[in-house]
Amino acid sequence: MNTKKLLSLTIVSLMLIALLASCGGSSANKPYAFFISHQTNAFTNELTTAITTKAAELGVEVTVYDAEKDPAKQVSQIETAVNQGIAGIVIEPVSVDGVVPALEAAKAAGIPVVVVNQRISKAEAADCFVGVENVDGGKLEMLTAAEDIGGSGNVAFLLGPLGSDAQIGRTDGYYEVLKDYPDISVAFEQTANWVTEEALALVENWLQTGTDLKAIVANNDGMALGALKAVEDAKLLDQIKIYGLDATPDALAAVADGRLTATISQNTTVQGTTAMDTVVKLAKGEKVDPEILVDFVLITKDNVNDFLQ
Amino acid sequence: MSKTILETQHITKSFFGVKVLDDISFSLASGEVHALIGENGAGKSTLVKIIMGIYQRDEGRIFLDSEEVFFQAPRDALQHGISIIQQELAPIMDIDVAEYLYVGRELHKLELGPLSVVDQRRQRAEAKALFEGLDIDINPRSLMRDLSVAQMQLVEITKAISLSSKIIIMDEPTSAITYKEVETLFEQIRKLKKRGVGVIYISHKMEEIFTIADRITVLRDGKHIGTDLAENFTVDKAIKMMVGREIKEVYPKQKVAIGEPVLEVQHLSSKHQFHDINFCLRKGEILGIAGLVGAGRSELVECIFGITKADEGRVLVHGQAVQINHPKTAIRQRVALITEDRGHTGLNLKTSVEHNISLAHLERLARFGVIDRRTEAKAADSHINQLKIKALSRKSLVRSLSGGNQQKVVLAKWLLTEPDIIILDEPTRGIDVGSKRDIYLLMGELAKAGKAILMISSEIPELMGLSDRIIVLAAGRLTGELPQEKFTQEEIMTYASKFEVLHDEK
Amino acid sequence: MTKNNASKQARLNSFRELGIVAAFFLILAVLVILSPNSFARPTNLINILKQASINGILATGMMFVIISGGIDLSVGSTVALAGVIAATYAHPGEYPLVVPIALSMLVGLAAGIANGLIVAFGNIPPFIVSLGSMTIIRGLALIASNGQPVFNVTKAFENIAGGFVLQYIPHLVIFFLSVTAISAFVLTRTVFGRRVYAVGGNEATAKVSGINVNMIKIGVYSISGFLAGLAGLLLASRIVSGNPTAGQSYELDAIAAAVIGGVSMTGGAGKWYGTVIGALIIAVIGNGLDILNVSSHFQLIIKGTIIIVAVLLDVKGKGNQ
Repeated sequence: MNTKKLLSLTIVSLMLIALLASCGGSSANKPYAFFISHQTNAFTNELTTAITTKAAELGVEVTVYDAEKDPAKQVSQIETAVNQGIAGIVIEPVSVDGVVPALEAAKAAGIPVVVVNQRISKAEAADCFVGVENVDGGKLEMLTAAEDIGGSGNVAFLLGPLGSDAQIGRTDGYYEVLKDYPDISVAFEQTANWVTEEALALVENWLQTGTDLKAIVANNDGMALGALKAVEDAKLLDQIKIYGLDATPDALAAVADGRLTATISQNTTVQGTTAMDTVVKLAKGEKVDPEILVDFVLITKDNVNDFLQ
Repeated sequence: MSKTILETQHITKSFFGVKVLDDISFSLASGEVHALIGENGAGKSTLVKIIMGIYQRDEGRIFLDSEEVFFQAPRDALQHGISIIQQELAPIMDIDVAEYLYVGRELHKLELGPLSVVDQRRQRAEAKALFEGLDIDINPRSLMRDLSVAQMQLVEITKAISLSSKIIIMDEPTSAITYKEVETLFEQIRKLKKRGVGVIYISHKMEEIFTIADRITVLRDGKHIGTDLAENFTVDKAIKMMVGREIKEVYPKQKVAIGEPVLEVQHLSSKHQFHDINFCLRKGEILGIAGLVGAGRSELVECIFGITKADEGRVLVHGQAVQINHPKTAIRQRVALITEDRGHTGLNLKTSVEHNISLAHLERLARFGVIDRRTEAKAADSHINQLKIKALSRKSLVRSLSGGNQQKVVLAKWLLTEPDIIILDEPTRGIDVGSKRDIYLLMGELAKAGKAILMISSEIPELMGLSDRIIVLAAGRLTGELPQEKFTQEEIMTYASKFEVLHDEK
Repeated sequence: MTKNNASKQARLNSFRELGIVAAFFLILAVLVILSPNSFARPTNLINILKQASINGILATGMMFVIISGGIDLSVGSTVALAGVIAATYAHPGEYPLVVPIALSMLVGLAAGIANGLIVAFGNIPPFIVSLGSMTIIRGLALIASNGQPVFNVTKAFENIAGGFVLQYIPHLVIFFLSVTAISAFVLTRTVFGRRVYAVGGNEATAKVSGINVNMIKIGVYSISGFLAGLAGLLLASRIVSGNPTAGQSYELDAIAAAVIGGVSMTGGAGKWYGTVIGALIIAVIGNGLDILNVSSHFQLIIKGTIIIVAVLLDVKGKGNQ
């Protein structure tokens, strides 16, 4: 009983101290908050690094909150941060709808909000969106593949989880390009849920059908690398070209080795630095465009060295 | 004799082409206790299940008060005033007694179809009145879980009476209750008789049948062997009719020279279970342990065997003090324990006869951890033959065997470990007469071969018939020790009830 | 009566065991008819074996655990952790090949021993223990890899799973067959195997019969963990990288394979070849439907249906006892 009392007393006093400490800081020194959906892949890690680096460069403080893919967690993180008092919000949302009320509340409290990479369902809830149009990435990837194979032959698509924004946008991009290439036909189109080993097994099975594939176009690099392994195992790399998107470090290495034909960078670092830059501007009261689009960059063997660290 | 209330004529029933009931005619009069006896598989349970409408007969007719009836399901039988109290009670544990009595026919204070409100208070009052009328001391507010098996049976009987049953079927009602509780049960049965209720009573226990039954019907292999008034039967005659062969005496006891002590228990105590137990078991001896359920007998032998730990005292095997903390140590000391509940702690019902027999002996059937399957098969087969286990082969699933044969499998498992000391906890509970006799004979042979045997039994005649000496436990204390010449049922019961005195002293 | 029951039982049992083999060949036959030129090719049959291997290895470990009356939900995470560790120590010019191999299996073994110790001595249901360790181990995998796939591994490392014996037989298949053979021997021929069945069949009886139940439990979780470590090594070698998010829901596929193969979720019963067939059925369906270009969403429905039908058979078989 005594230990319990002591414990709760300790916790309460610690909370009080924390509260006082957070109130004590002058408003000018309030930190910025960056909310990220998860930190389990190269993209999210790169985005985080870009934001924290830019913040350091601008001489402001930024706290990173990892929602671990849980929409409810992200909402409560926003609420907590707003309560504690922050200078501005950069968010890479878990859920396109779920975060809207929390962001509206933050905006009402006078905190500037910048959404990065993934659009939310209600644009007015944020001051600015920084990101890419997925459909543009898909277009660039498919256009490259179509030109490489000379505008005719069979291709296969590896899709992300059906219904996800990135999958829909990128795949729409593929089909828009295909309108101009009537001689290219889609032999297979299946989801591998962004997962390397699923893509590997899937492509292994496709290759068993003996279909004469000219190119495999993947919604992300992880799946492209799975396809690459299957094609290499089947010793068909000289016949089948493989395309990815995201420019992850392992994909870049594969491009440098000449194994992966190309990957597309969504300029993650630029997205991150722009977002951080924009939120600081907003906090200072400057006006910014409600939408800042970052261009995709095609990475092939020719320019890959610019992207390798 | 009063009027016949139930009659079955020429009932025949087959399962998968095997006739399990062949032309059975049976009748029950009001106010009569009619015992149905026979070995396991004789067809007793099948017959009562047909009466209850659980199974459908192939041929024959059933009359209730001279009117032919066709029951499709047990609820039809219940509606016609026939209740059954099953061998294995399966009550709903987490409700109180009053709720249980009225389950499915709750008393309502507001009629709203399925949303009717149950009148708890009235149910409790009615239950209390029922118990008082029957002179049963059970609180209607107690949870079913907190009742003893005997009390649950009394609740079932009360339920049957409250349903105004004219006929109550009791299938092995005493298999899980104590000597004293049996008396309470019999009192209730006698009251039922006075009310004109007819009771069909199924049991393996001859003493009980001769105490309570007015008439006895013997079945064997699905056939009707005979029906007569109880006073025209003797135990020997009944058993002979049941097994179809002559049995010289019920308890075959061999004369064996008793040797040196092999198991000595000194001041053994375990909190809340037993206290300061001292006894000595000798080579060639059968030592009986008597006592009521809850006296601490099973707990004592489980402690000796290392399933639980003792708080005080020590155990000597062959004169050497040994620390037995786990059954594997006991097995190494050549001690075997045939536990009370074979389904729960004696057998692995999911596997074969062979794998059950070899289970406690695997290490010695193996080389570098690999089982020598030929030796294992040989050992299993020889024990199946030696113990006359009726199984299609050693590969048969043990659950497909009858209770008696399952018990023999447990015995085979322990005999394979070549024990010097064999502890048997209720070795004949719920098994048929033929298997019982096989086990009695085996115990005699084992004693003759120099094994020391410790036997717990709640059937006092069995204990008296087999033991060289009996010790009695009451409320966790050793209250008496009787040499063979002093064995009487009264004497044993006196010691077994001594705890009341102990409690009074406190 | 007894004899009759016994023989009926024996017939029922063998019918059930044959049933799953028959179902397997039925599925094969249907796919051969639907896709005679692609599915039935020898190279594709080897491909199926290869794709069944990693799940088959996990299912074998899972089988030990389920037969003992437990469950191990942590194997998928262990695959990821072992894969990340293996890839981390497999960069060119750093450590000899034996280091990633040994470390990944040690990591798996350690996870298994930890699960076993908590289940045996903590008296916590295995479902809860392994649910917790599943999350913990996933966290460790993310920490060990910084949340990113670990790539750039040696050719020799890639060759562990990716190589071939006699030009045609993938190493993966050799690993699967070896694990199956050893497991079958341990399960059916050894004292340990027999005791695993005994503990799952009736723990109280097992204890009274002198079996150290805790040691058996630690043993089965160790086997499961060790094989998950091996599977993680093989997966990392197969996808030429250690991915901290790999192996998600692999534990469910492993359980599915065991259950389709007739391993009883209540413990005490199950045959090694059932598990092999279960893993093969899952791989065959995935492969066949991919080749027929059936949407993976429909594939999920078909896989789920087969699991339920298999368990239905299992329950029916028991109901008839």
